[in-house]
Formats: sequence, structure tokens, C-alpha cells
Amino acid sequence: MKQRLEEAIRKHRGRCDYLEVHVEETAESRVQFNGPRIADIGRKLDFGGNVRALHKGGWGFASFNSLDRLDEFAGHAIEQARLVGREKSVLAPVEPVRADVLLDLREDPRAVPLEEKVAVLKAYNDRALAKGGRIVSTVTRYFDRARRFWYANSEGSLLYQERVDLGGAVTPVASAGGDTQMYSVSFGGSDDFGVARGREKEVDEACAIALGKLDAPKVKGGEYTVILDPILAGTFIHEAFGHLSEGDNVYEDKNLQEVMTLGREFGGPALNVYDTGLDKGERGYLVYDDEGVPTEKTYLIRGGKLVGRLHSRETAGKMGERPTGNARQIDYRFPPICRMRNTCIENGDAPFARMLEGVGLGVYCVSAQGGQTNGEMFTFSAANAIMIRDGRLAEQVRDATLTGNVFVTLKNIDMIGNDFETHNGPGGCGKGGQFPLQTSHGAPHVRIRNVVIGGE
Amino acid sequence: MREIIERAAGKGAERCEVFHLTSLRTQVDFETGRLKGVSRTEENGVAVRVVKNGRIGLATSTRLDDLDRIAEDAVATSAFGEKAEHGFAGAAQLPSPKVVDRRVEDLPIDAMIARMAEGVARIHDYEKKVNCEATTRRDVQEISVATSDGFDSSFRRTQYQFYVGGRLIEGTNMLDAGGYYGGTALDDGGNAIVDQVIEDLRNGRRNAAVEGGPTAVLFTPRAMADVMMTLYSGLNGSLVERKVSPLTGRLGQTVFDERVTIHDDGVADTGFSSAPFDDEGVPMQRTPLVVGGVLKGFITDLRTATKLGLPATGNGLRLRRLVQSKDIGAVPQPEVTGWDMAGGDTPHAQLLAGMKSGVVVDSIMGIMMSNLLAGDFSGNVAYGLKVENGRVAGRVKDTMVAGNIYRLLKDNVVGISREVERVGLMGFIGSHRYPYVLMRDVSISTKS
Repeated sequence: MKQRLEEAIRKHRGRCDYLEVHVEETAESRVQFNGPRIADIGRKLDFGGNVRALHKGGWGFASFNSLDRLDEFAGHAIEQARLVGREKSVLAPVEPVRADVLLDLREDPRAVPLEEKVAVLKAYNDRALAKGGRIVSTVTRYFDRARRFWYANSEGSLLYQERVDLGGAVTPVASAGGDTQMYSVSFGGSDDFGVARGREKEVDEACAIALGKLDAPKVKGGEYTVILDPILAGTFIHEAFGHLSEGDNVYEDKNLQEVMTLGREFGGPALNVYDTGLDKGERGYLVYDDEGVPTEKTYLIRGGKLVGRLHSRETAGKMGERPTGNARQIDYRFPPICRMRNTCIENGDAPFARMLEGVGLGVYCVSAQGGQTNGEMFTFSAANAIMIRDGRLAEQVRDATLTGNVFVTLKNIDMIGNDFETHNGPGGCGKGGQFPLQTSHGAPHVRIRNVVIGGE
Repeated sequence: MREIIERAAGKGAERCEVFHLTSLRTQVDFETGRLKGVSRTEENGVAVRVVKNGRIGLATSTRLDDLDRIAEDAVATSAFGEKAEHGFAGAAQLPSPKVVDRRVEDLPIDAMIARMAEGVARIHDYEKKVNCEATTRRDVQEISVATSDGFDSSFRRTQYQFYVGGRLIEGTNMLDAGGYYGGTALDDGGNAIVDQVIEDLRNGRRNAAVEGGPTAVLFTPRAMADVMMTLYSGLNGSLVERKVSPLTGRLGQTVFDERVTIHDDGVADTGFSSAPFDDEGVPMQRTPLVVGGVLKGFITDLRTATKLGLPATGNGLRLRRLVQSKDIGAVPQPEVTGWDMAGGDTPHAQLLAGMKSGVVVDSIMGIMMSNLLAGDFSGNVAYGLKVENGRVAGRVKDTMVAGNIYRLLKDNVVGISREVERVGLMGFIGSHRYPYVLMRDVSISTKS
């Protein structure tokens, strides 16, 4: 395969400024239970690739399932790039790499028979359904993907990479009187089927929380002091700052560059935020990105000040900054774009008990249902919430969806916990039609003043 | 396809269904107002479902040089699969909505570039500082389904999508506006979309403060597409079957205001998701869901139809999770095609003019992470305008809108516009048709 890629590069490189070929093979297993029934069980074999060409600043891209016609696809990509290119090609320089990245797994999901995977998931599913009563249904899902990537470019890089990605969730569904509530236990990772095991206690807790939400009142809309648990704090930083840090938002937008000048203050001196590909086992773990650039730990905010961005080679080149290994594609059907890996708020020094002190009326927001951003404003949703009254955790409430503004909300973080943890779920990040991309995040508890929560 | 069915039979499959998709996508992108790239995506894959020993197995592949492995994988997964209670599709009379437009197929890349360049130029005529983006996407698909139960048919479809929009940054204030068309036919050139983008930029440039509390809200067709996502699950047969939809057991009952009528239309001419048959080989149709406020039906695939004892509505689609894009690897399940909500009798302008004070909500961010199943939504007003005495007073920001669709459509409808507009979102939903809907006492939360 490597030879074939190099040959294609050699043959076509002369007709454009830059050329790369990417081929991948993914073998996926998946299981889903909806209530007692097995709603989906299947295997997927996905083989395909793409050719990407850059000429005079214009990109051409052709993806395919049939490697036999590689020359034809290279021709398409180059023609398209030549059609578009009217300026100058700029890519930040990197050392060409020649490497094989082989798997180093703890419990290899490929070695676990499908039968056993079904049994592990079914046990959780049955456990939740066995509660009966107002637990009327479940959604329990699991997938794993074993992937192989071959990559070559016209600067001499030649890579073979193996990656594993897996995730799952058990969601008890509680229902009564036309109202339906749920809560998920989720897991994921990049090197261990073991993360799917031993979740019994969490499944019990999830049932209890879902039932509690049926009886809980909706949170009253308004402005609150909130404490985010590590899972939601991770979602928060992903939405609040991760996306705005992606170089492709900024690199050709002069107005945004003025707003996103390195050194600008976004938060208090205790706030440190980074995005890293180096944390083995997390879903955001990545040795080389999809342009063959080695990944790293990239600080975005240090001491409250903007210090870095997430770059592809082009965005780094055009901004005169260093490439960071953030060019990623969900699969061969798409070109790589600037994306996050494992995005984290660094540990602070506040114990949880101290965060509660002095909060007259607030909301403790636990676990995440998701988040979205449009740059300046963002929103993220807690899967469970508990009112804080006079410095103490009080009654459970539901439907806490929070909104913030990047220029205001980060500055309103007034306490950062000392209990950092990372979180991996089965979902992923969406951008530019590329969804879901495997990412993860980490944070300690975080306290934020003046956050608007929607509600009646 | 016949070969796979035969191979599966050779491995002991009692019944078999093969879905085959080939597609060619051409996409042109403008970034920062300039032509950035052209891409071409070719796809060719099959999905095979078998029944062996009364259980269903599924395997999918884009590696068509190994048909034996696909058949083998499908048969292997059947050992763990669900008991097959439904058959695969048999021969049927198929509808013939317009799903191919030669003008889409023949549209040269140069012409796509010219259309986008013109849109960008017009936005720049309004304001040079707007950072414009535009995308044109063309898909040409061929979809075939064959079953051992006698269905064997295929169709070609063209899909054309056009997006143009821009971001205006003034200080740290960011204003986004964008317009979209998606359908199986070519649009009228995109002029109306560009006009709308310019008007949205103009109206949203000045910010205005609103107060929190129960508020009159005029949902635009675009916002209706956001809010109605809550009903996608409620009217989905698979969630009714599991008894988690609040509409379970309510067929024939009045569930909404009598002015509310909603169809799922899989055969609308030029509708983005329209087709003669769904991804299981069931004829697509226009399905009444709510008529005059009365619940009339649910969307179903073969399985849920059998389970519920209702007709299959031709909504068994294989889509990427959350988006209207074909995924060869997905198991068929009931999915919305194009929703069509009937207009009312009041002109849109009159609804707006009648608002003493309120908010026009045009786009809501974060709807997807609400508890959709319960009909609850809560999200940030990504684009919304404050209204005072029937006039737009400026853009509202850092504001949340929340509600429950079952209560709002039952008790809070003030008026429904006569105008019904086609809306969609690139890469997510292709085309729906919604009116403007004015509702009273919708919850708005903002900074105190």
C-alpha cells in the first residue's frame, strides 16, 4: 500500500504545489438496545481514500472507494486545485515523517468476541429495565472501530497508523403521566475495552437520577452563580473557547484576528486551558494528525491570557504561527480541518466544599447533554441539576440549559477546583458537516458567576 | 445485488435484503469571500440484511470486491440479532415525484462559482466588512433495493444545496446571517436568499435589551424548523412503540390547537428527501400526522409499522445520526423526510404589526440538547429581534428561549401566517415548509 501511495505521489506531484494521498480501512462493530429489544447489531467495513492537492492557494479534493482508479482521482483533485488557485500556496513547514504507529492496547476490543460485547451491554440494559415501575425503557449502545491509515505527501512523509476508538452509553428512560426523563452513563476511549466494564453502580445511579427528574421541577429561568462538575466544565470549555481557538475561523478574518490577538485577556489569572493529543487512552489521543503533523499539548489560555490556537499547516502558515497537529477529518470522505483533540481546563486549588460557601442561590450543574457555539455566544446543557441554597446543595431540578458569551463568561469564573478528571463519551464533535469526530475533555469543578439559564 | 442475495442464501439465510448506494458529490467552497476549494466525493457501498433462524443480521461495506465477506458478516451477526417479526418489502406500485433535475446534473463548476461570487459581491455591496462564506453542493445518487420477497427497483436523484452567509464583527459584537436552499431541483438563482441575508445583517446590527419573563414570540419558519425537532421524536413510531412518546395512545384525539396541521411529505416535487421508495423499498408518501389539531398518524418503518399494527409510511431511512445524509452503515429507522405545516389566514406582516412588545425568534442554538422526547426545548436565541409596537427595535443577545411544544401548540398559538416558506440547513435538514407562528407567553430568560 505504502509503495502504491508513493508511486501516485511521484507520478502526479509535478502538476501542483502540494499533493497528499490518504487511504483508510475501518472495521466497526456495534450493538444497540432500545428497551429489551436489540435494535441494531452489525458490522461495518469501510474502505476508501482521498487525494488532496494544493495549487496557488486553491485546494482540490477527491475521495473514493475504489483504489484501482487512484490516478484518475489524483487527476480530479489536481484539476480542481488548478481551477481554484489564484494566489500563493502557504503551508507551515514541518519535517517530513516516515513512521509506523502501531497499537499499544490494554484490553483489545478486536479480541473480545461480539457475543461477549453483547453480554456486557445486555447486562447493563437488563439491570436498568429490571427496576421496572416508572423506568419504562432504555437506550444502550456501544461501538468500536479498528482503523488503519496510510498517508503519503509530496514532501516525503510516509505514514502508517493504527487507531482504535470505542464508546458507549446506557440511558435509562423514566416516564409517567406523559412526561419522559432520562440520564446517561457514558464511557469511551482509545485503547481499552475495559472502560465498558464495571459500570453497574453508575447504571443504578442513572436510574435514580432519571426517576428523580420526573418529580423534579423545571429550573426557573434567570441569572445564577453556577458550579459545573468536571464533565460539564469540559463541555463548557470545548464550546466556550475550543471552537473559537480553531485557526480556520481566524486565519483569513482580519476583524476576528483583532479580537483574538495573542495576549488578550479572556479570564482571570488562575485560568489555564489546553488542548492535547498526547493523553493515551483518551478519545482525543492522536500521534500524528491527518496531515502527518505530530501532535502536542497546545496551551490556549495561560494565566487568563490567549497564548495559542489549534492549527492546520495552512492556518499556521498564513498566520505565521507553529502547526499544532490539529488537522483532522472524520473519515476519508472529508478533507482535514482544524479540530480539537482532548480539551481541558487545568487544575486549580479550590476544594468543592469551598465553592459552595457563600453561594446564596445557585445551581450545581452535573454531566452534559451537549453544547453548541456560534463564536461569541455558546450554550451547553446539564443532564442533571441541583439547586444551591445558602451554601448547601438543596433540591433536584431539571432542564438546566446555560448560555454564555466568550468575552464575559470566562472572566466570571471565580473558582477552579482541585479535582481534575477527563471524560470520554460515545458522541463527538460536529463542525462543517463533519460529525461525529472523536474528542474528549477534562476539567475540575468550576464556579462561574452570572450565568443565564433558560426556563419558565 | 442478486449475487449477494444468492450468496447469503447459500450461507443459510432464509430471507435477504440488499441496499446499494452510489453517489457523486461535487462541492465548491468560498471562504472569506474568496474561492477556496473544489471537492469531489465518490461513494459506493452496500448494506445487507438477512434473516437466519428467524433472526436479523446486518452488515455493510464499501469494499465491493469481497461480496462473500459481506454476506458472511450479515449471517454471522444474525446469531445475536432481533427476532424478525416483519418481512422485507415486496413488489409495489411506486409514486414518481420529481427527484431528478438535469439542470443540476449539468451545472458546470464555473457556473456554481459565478453564482456564489455574485452573492458574495452583493453582500459586500451592502457592507465590505462582512466575512462571507458560501457553499454549493451537488449530489447525484443512485439508490437500489432488492429483496428476496420480490422488491427490485432503483432510482436516480439529484440534490442541490446552496448556502451563502456572513459574519460581521464590530468590536467584540459578532453578527451571523445566512441563507440556504436545498432540493432535488435547481433553485431560482439564490437572489432571494442573498436579499434575506442582507436584511438580517441590517436588522441585527443594533442590539436591544429585553426583559425576561413570559413574552409574545413570533417564530419564523427557520425557528419553527428548530422548535419542531421536539416533535420529530414524539411523532416517531419507534418511540410510540416504546411508549416514551407523550403522544402514545392518543391517535384520533385533539392534541393541538385546531389551526395546527402537519404532514410528513416524502413525495413533494423537488423536496430534498423525496423519493419513490425509502431505504427498505417501501413506497414513500405524504403522511398526515396532525390535521386540524387531531393526531392522525406516526412515521414508521417496516418494523415499527408491524409492531404498532399501522401502515408502513415509507420513512425507513438509513441516515447518519442527526443529519439527513445517507449512511450506508446505519440501520433503517423511522426518520422525517420533509415536514409541511399548513399556513393560517393572517399575513405575516399583520402578525408582526400586531405585536405590542415581543421577540421575533429566527434561529435557536442548542435545541438538540434539550429533552426533546418530553417536548421541552431551551436554547440560546442565536438570531432574534426585539419588537416594539409592531416594529423591529434591534437584536437580542445573551438570551434564552424555552418552552414545551405540546403545551405551546395547544394553548399558546395566537396566529399562523398565510405565508409558508421552505427552510433547511446545509448538511442537516434538507427541506421543510413552515409558516410564521405567533405564540403568547413564551419563556424568555436573560441577564438581570
